[in-house]
Amino acid sequence: MRKVALVANCLLNQNAKVCEGANYRGVVSPVVESLRSRGYELLQLPCPELAFAGVRRWWAVYEQYDTPAYRAHCKRLAQAIAPLIEQHLRRGDELILIGLDGSPSTGVRFTSSKPEWGGRPNRPQDDWEIVPRRGIWIEELEAELARRGLPAIPATGWALDMGRFDEAGSRSDLEQFLDSRASAAPARGKRRAAK
Amino acid sequence: MTADRRGWRMALVPDALINPPPRARAAPDVLKALESSGHGVLQLPPPGEHGLLLAVIADQVAEYAHHGYAVVAVGLAGRPDDGLHWRRLAPLLRRRRVALPPRHIIRAGADPEDEELRLAAFLAAHDLPLEEQRRWRV
Repeated sequence: MRKVALVANCLLNQNAKVCEGANYRGVVSPVVESLRSRGYELLQLPCPELAFAGVRRWWAVYEQYDTPAYRAHCKRLAQAIAPLIEQHLRRGDELILIGLDGSPSTGVRFTSSKPEWGGRPNRPQDDWEIVPRRGIWIEELEAELARRGLPAIPATGWALDMGRFDEAGSRSDLEQFLDSRASAAPARGKRRAAK
Repeated sequence: MTADRRGWRMALVPDALINPPPRARAAPDVLKALESSGHGVLQLPPPGEHGLLLAVIADQVAEYAHHGYAVVAVGLAGRPDDGLHWRRLAPLLRRRRVALPPRHIIRAGADPEDEELRLAAFLAAHDLPLEEQRRWRV
């Protein structure tokens, strides 16, 4: 059994971030180190915003991307990557998903929200809420996996888009999630053996 | 928001170099090398039919290549198409008016230290001309 982490595109490539949103040159090293040191392989997800609104896009909130066209685009990307995910799941590999908390697309535990927001961005006056909800890309990806009859994948988010970024706190949060998976693994193995 | 730190450079990399099998750990750690040089990663899938995914990746490469980003490819000798799906990817890129990224191939079985140095030299040597960098990278 292999351990595979599905990772948000920008965790391996910060060039995918919105204008003014990149916190690293390329690879987000603490995420990669935490995963590799625990034996996880990496499977990079496509970036839905880059392929839809381009690399020069401004930041946005969940409601701005919540359109039929963007959801159809996310569904197409999900169909592109789902066969690889399905292959791993059918083989019995252990999969986890690391998204980007606070992102309107790739948020796992949290996304950004401001229903009335629109028009020209105006930093630093612009403000939005962080709400406990999936981003649109993660919603569509999970829907595609469910359509294929696949189980939900345990998921968390690297808290890069939550406002003030705290790398040490984000790392500790991620490692807690990974280590809780590791300590639960023997119990999962026993349950399978008992069936 | 902090100053944007993007490196404006990235590499197409086969799955086999991002997730090397345990017996290949002596080969250069390509992901580490890319981290050190400030390159982002665009992961290519393992061998197989991945028509839609390769088209999605080609769309992303085109978006970068048309807007001031430098894209290279790092392959692995001994794999079909060096692990880069080049026979499928190259026509997809041409159709999107993208010049084919410069390619560097890691030699399987060669001295890992030599391969690390060759890779570092390749990564350091490839970027856009200064005039193009000034045009886009404000």
